[in-house]
Amino acid sequence: MRRIFPLMLLAWLACWLPVAAQGVRITGKVTTSDDASPLPGASVQLKGTNVGTQTDSEGSYAIEVPSSNSVLVFSFVGMVAQEITVANQSTIDVKLSSDVRSLSEVVVTGYGSQIKRDVTGNIAQVKGTEIQNMPVASVDAAIQGRAAGVYVNSGTGKLGQAINVRVRGNSSISASSQPLYVVDGMPVTTADLSNNGGSTNPLSDINSNDIESIEILKDASAGAIYGSRAANGVVLITTKRGKAGKTNVSLNYQLGSSEATRRVKFLNADEYVKFYTMAANNRDRIDGTDTQDPDSYTQYMLGAGGFLEYYSLGTYNTPQQQNYSWQDQAFQKGPMQQLDLQVNGGSEKTKFFLSGQYLDQTGTLVGNNLERISGRMNLDHQAYKWLQVGLSMGLARTVNRRLPGDNAFSNPLQMAALTPLTPFTDPKTGLPTGTPPGDVNVPLYFNPMISINYAKFEATSFRNLTNAYAQINILPELKFRSELGIDLLNQNEEGYYQSQNVRNVSTASSGLGNNYATFVTNYNTNNFFSYDKTLGLHGIGATLGMSYQQSQRKLSFVEGTQFPSDSYKKIASAATKSDGSTSETNFRFLSYFLRMNYKFADKYLLSASARIDGSSRFGVNSRYGFFPSASLGWVVTEEGFLKNNNVLSFLKLRGSYGSTGNSEIGDFPQLGLFAGDAGYAGSAGQRPSQIGNPNLKWETTRQADFGVDFGLFNNRINGEIDYYVKKTNGLLLEVNVPATSGFSVQYANVGKLENKGFEFVLNTQNTVGAFRWTTSLNVANNKNKVTDIQGQVIEGGIRSMSRVMEGQPVGVFYTVEYAGVDRANGNALFYKNTPNPDGTVDRSTVTNSGYNSAQRVVAGNPNPKLVGGITNTFSYKGIDLSVFFNGVSGNKINFYGVGQYSSANGIYEDNQTADQLNAWTPENPDTDVPEARFYRGNGNQASTRYIFNGSYLRLRSITLGYNLPTELVRRIKMEKVRVYVSALNLATFTNYKGWDPEVNTDDLSEKDSKFALGNDFYTAPQPRTLLVGINVGF
Amino acid sequence: MKKNRYIIPALLSALLMATGCDNRLDVQPTQSIDENVALGTSRDVEVTLIGCYDGLQDVDVYGGAFQYASELLGNSDELGFGGTFQNLLEMYNKEMTTNNVTATSTWRDSYVAINRCNNVLSALDIVDEDKRARIEGEARFIRGSIYFDLVRLYAKTWGDGDNASNPGVPLVLKPTRGVTDADKIPRNAVAEVYAQVLEDLTKAKSLLPESNTIYATKYAASAQLSRVYLMQGNYAAARDEANEVITSDAFSLNPTFESLFFTFLDNGGANPEEYIFSMIVTQQDGTNDMNTFFGTTISAIPGTAGRGDIRILAKHRGLYEASDKRGAFFVTTNNTFTRKHLDKFGNVLQFRLAEMYLTRAEANLRLNSQTGATPLADLNLIRTRAGLKAASAATIESVLKERHLELAFEGHTLHDLKRTRQNVGALPYNSPKLIMPIPQREMDVNKQLVQNQGYN
Repeated sequence: MRRIFPLMLLAWLACWLPVAAQGVRITGKVTTSDDASPLPGASVQLKGTNVGTQTDSEGSYAIEVPSSNSVLVFSFVGMVAQEITVANQSTIDVKLSSDVRSLSEVVVTGYGSQIKRDVTGNIAQVKGTEIQNMPVASVDAAIQGRAAGVYVNSGTGKLGQAINVRVRGNSSISASSQPLYVVDGMPVTTADLSNNGGSTNPLSDINSNDIESIEILKDASAGAIYGSRAANGVVLITTKRGKAGKTNVSLNYQLGSSEATRRVKFLNADEYVKFYTMAANNRDRIDGTDTQDPDSYTQYMLGAGGFLEYYSLGTYNTPQQQNYSWQDQAFQKGPMQQLDLQVNGGSEKTKFFLSGQYLDQTGTLVGNNLERISGRMNLDHQAYKWLQVGLSMGLARTVNRRLPGDNAFSNPLQMAALTPLTPFTDPKTGLPTGTPPGDVNVPLYFNPMISINYAKFEATSFRNLTNAYAQINILPELKFRSELGIDLLNQNEEGYYQSQNVRNVSTASSGLGNNYATFVTNYNTNNFFSYDKTLGLHGIGATLGMSYQQSQRKLSFVEGTQFPSDSYKKIASAATKSDGSTSETNFRFLSYFLRMNYKFADKYLLSASARIDGSSRFGVNSRYGFFPSASLGWVVTEEGFLKNNNVLSFLKLRGSYGSTGNSEIGDFPQLGLFAGDAGYAGSAGQRPSQIGNPNLKWETTRQADFGVDFGLFNNRINGEIDYYVKKTNGLLLEVNVPATSGFSVQYANVGKLENKGFEFVLNTQNTVGAFRWTTSLNVANNKNKVTDIQGQVIEGGIRSMSRVMEGQPVGVFYTVEYAGVDRANGNALFYKNTPNPDGTVDRSTVTNSGYNSAQRVVAGNPNPKLVGGITNTFSYKGIDLSVFFNGVSGNKINFYGVGQYSSANGIYEDNQTADQLNAWTPENPDTDVPEARFYRGNGNQASTRYIFNGSYLRLRSITLGYNLPTELVRRIKMEKVRVYVSALNLATFTNYKGWDPEVNTDDLSEKDSKFALGNDFYTAPQPRTLLVGINVGF
Repeated sequence: MKKNRYIIPALLSALLMATGCDNRLDVQPTQSIDENVALGTSRDVEVTLIGCYDGLQDVDVYGGAFQYASELLGNSDELGFGGTFQNLLEMYNKEMTTNNVTATSTWRDSYVAINRCNNVLSALDIVDEDKRARIEGEARFIRGSIYFDLVRLYAKTWGDGDNASNPGVPLVLKPTRGVTDADKIPRNAVAEVYAQVLEDLTKAKSLLPESNTIYATKYAASAQLSRVYLMQGNYAAARDEANEVITSDAFSLNPTFESLFFTFLDNGGANPEEYIFSMIVTQQDGTNDMNTFFGTTISAIPGTAGRGDIRILAKHRGLYEASDKRGAFFVTTNNTFTRKHLDKFGNVLQFRLAEMYLTRAEANLRLNSQTGATPLADLNLIRTRAGLKAASAATIESVLKERHLELAFEGHTLHDLKRTRQNVGALPYNSPKLIMPIPQREMDVNKQLVQNQGYN
């Protein structure tokens, strides 16, 4: 026993030894070096261990360290980390200096991540913090202007609709040019699922506040790991994960209101009468009809029982005549509110991130609303030293009360075209004019307010994005990771049109209900090894793996009519089940990928990657594609001759070349098909529906990128410059074939196009100290040119004015050139532009009747030449201000969708834009608006008259915040209280004559919408949103 | 770390297992089938024939476009136009552009239907023998009918210059499987197209049964032939075809004029006994584009619909005699519309017996013959039904006027004016403005085509 006791004591001591060693307690305070303000939430970690803590709201911390040799690492996002050896200190105060764009940041690369300074490809990163709390429904809208070379056009102000995103230009014509979106490693469903109105945007099921970072893979080196799906760029979205330590709770509430950015001035009642009197008189003069003749246009318009009397409900020329601004009825102030709760924390073994959001946003057009409830749980668990498992799960329910497509009479903005003498309310019924039992044929067109009041179309979607992983550390340097993801999207669209809508939906005379159920199941698995090893000066990294994805989309649809009354709204009560259908489509991908990185002495960087992609979409003769890439980097500042340079703190030259593909060519474009949808009068029928092509495959893009990353003055100024050349061949074209074949198009890989451009990113820290001012700027220029479409004529969009032609950018406007007005008689004139025998162009003009003989010309590019954004952030004490402008320049917009009716110098009865008042008269001969001629074309044909400049500069977002002083906050047991005011699209600077220069009508065919950009068709302008918010952390 | 010995091979095999997935990439569509298996049985050909009717029924073919094009291009101040469809306004103003949507779609959709017919006609050998004649007859009827309507809309009128050299429309008589340069074919001459039309329709007439539910019959072929012959000025043949339809007793004049229309609202979707052939519209299938543009929503008559674009002006209404029931077959809101096309799901009328009587009367008059009946008897049959007094004499002029009133807004106007060489307003019958342009899209894609005069 005696001999045992000392042993036991020794053992007991041994057990306690480490504890005793932890007896060294270090306290201190972490502040910023600029203004010495405390840094709450900074990480203090014992180097080489998992032991660590975070600073409190005062910036103070306390930690036990084992010995005086221990090293503490102090770090904070956006600051340069510091390592301090404890030695004999017991109080360690640390000042961290900011590192605006630290080159030691990690960027996500697809199946892995890499330190930014080692990256040889081009990857743009947008931090979650940059886009948080932006009052837009989807993440793609939020990144607008944030990343160089990423052009985002929200298209319409309707909520939750599809958005155009182009990474380094249009890479396709008939296939999609939208990037691939990957959330936590899984390619997600982004395709339009709309069955009414414009395209939907499945990305609006994702809460942007859950996002940690967004990486956009732009060049071939970065993208090749996604092979046949990367040619349009890849957007990698990484959601937030838990951090060990204290549980942090953050609560955010914001409340705001939106209004349309801009309106267009239309004629008021008096102007309307005056203008149409003139137009009708002119027409009668041309016809040689006396204006008093009962059959004259003047009498048709003004006479007893004429147009004005009828459509003013008899008030024309009476004391009751009033002005009704129908356009104003279309707009409303839309309130919005958003509540966010985020909780993160955990132990070293298990970490979690939980979030919930409620968003309720009302549109700026009447009848439009989007409501989303979403939740997320991200878990990581270290089961054993060698095994880590985790789960990310996002759930969302989005309810979108939608509006009809732009081209529908029920589109509220089309109210602008209604007669300003028509009362909003029919005095006989007290209901919106045109509502039965009142006369349904007033106003001029269907009154959209009837649709707003008596019809509804609501899309409800449930989304589950779940991704589970297991990661095995086989060796310290070798890991295997297996991911299994599922993206379930269940969407129900329910429409009901009460009998009042009969003028617009003629089958709704006793009510009409429809119901669409869409179910998309998308499975994906990634299984890959990754290897990372540093051997002296050599750093080696490798990734090898496979991935398999299968996606199925099912649709069922039922429609019923003949309801007992308007109180019955479900199809169960429909006496006639008037229509129904089901359909299904599938696609699958099987892929293998490899990436190798090599680095020598942090100086020379080499990377190569490749992917083999097989897909059910490709023809049997070309089922698998191979997509390799290679890149090189040279960190010049690591060389001896620059190492201690005080000015140039960082310089890296990099170059990459490789090949990627675009497989968004549709699910079955390769097959020669018959379809069974050609029934007649209740008998089943079939028809040839598609010409086959067994050689059909992906589109191939070969891209070279040369870049310079630089940092000056200890990286206070840093930036990137890139030049790229992107050549796409094997473009999938719906090659026009003579319609005499019984087909219009055949799919073939025949076209070529290229994109070239510069990108420039600059981040500067303009002042440091108590007053901090930073600027970050990105500008990109892209030149798009179609080089070969084998003489095909590809045109579409409004009146087929958008065209794809060799030597021109995709989707240029191609139309007759307007030559203004003949001073002598008010005739609209068009340039002939036909070639003369001597090779010159005939610049003589023709009038209306010679319109057909005028040659169409290229009249502008809907794709901007320059796209950019600039953010300035200021902070002083607890006040912060962020001002973000974005803009585009060099693009054109086609206003003909509106102009052919409403800026058409009075050809139809549609209310006219106010600029038409300037129409030619003998007294006003110098104008570009032709003489008003009622029901007689005089320049309202498609022409450059309606092609407008689309450049704009917009104060996209501005946020002013105030952090309550810490002492105050502590007193109420909080860690952080921040109040802010914010505005979206506060000011827009443009010469565009229409509503909003950020426009793409939502009502084009699927085919046209791929290339026919920049069309306005009574398209809803963007919202201008003002909001206040409060953020509380504890 | 011993376990690594098992893990790595296991993981590697898991990785490679995926190679077994290759066959998973063979995914077939679910709504469509491969063209190589589509025409394998008699039933397959029969349903493809239904597809031909579906193609014929297209709004830009027999669903309305051929008829309203004729009415708008042939109109001189009897119709008003107030819609926003520029394609229609261009026709109304006789200032068509080569991108006119109707010109483009009617051309395209006509050939879609023709290709379906060609598919049927190429697979007749697998059709059950007892059905073969009928199926060939129906496909030929549809193909011949479409070629006839194409050639009279897109080419010079028969007899305006040299039929053998005037360009008609391209004749495609084989189904398309792939498209090569060989499919870029020029326009056949007007005479060649008419020859093909006559071949198809005469053959159809000989193959088709006398009754065939809603589908084409021998008499539908006869009725179409009577139009073709009339267009060619072959009055004897036109008269004989019309006479054959009349004397078959397969059809009879409706007792009242008003009961001829509203096939869905008043007749449960069935054709009146006077109809020889129509495109059937149901709530599930088919659209009546005559309704779309001539019709309008009348609150008092549920089930009516339409854009109300084409209005009937006083000049037309003034043509009717006082007691003419047809002169009251209008409805007036702020504009006046014909009642013929108010029924949203009304069948799209193609031929009715009254036309046969009027054709026989006109031809008999011109030939000074009395086949079947005297022209006066035929004329008065139509007049008395409309509530008018019997005429005491029939002249070509009075028969043509009766034809204009009886068959108003049914697609005859332009062609009747052209064949009788009458002006449309100030435009002579052979004005290039009264001929559709070859669609710009076709001109661009097929350099073999020549554009019609006035559109270059």
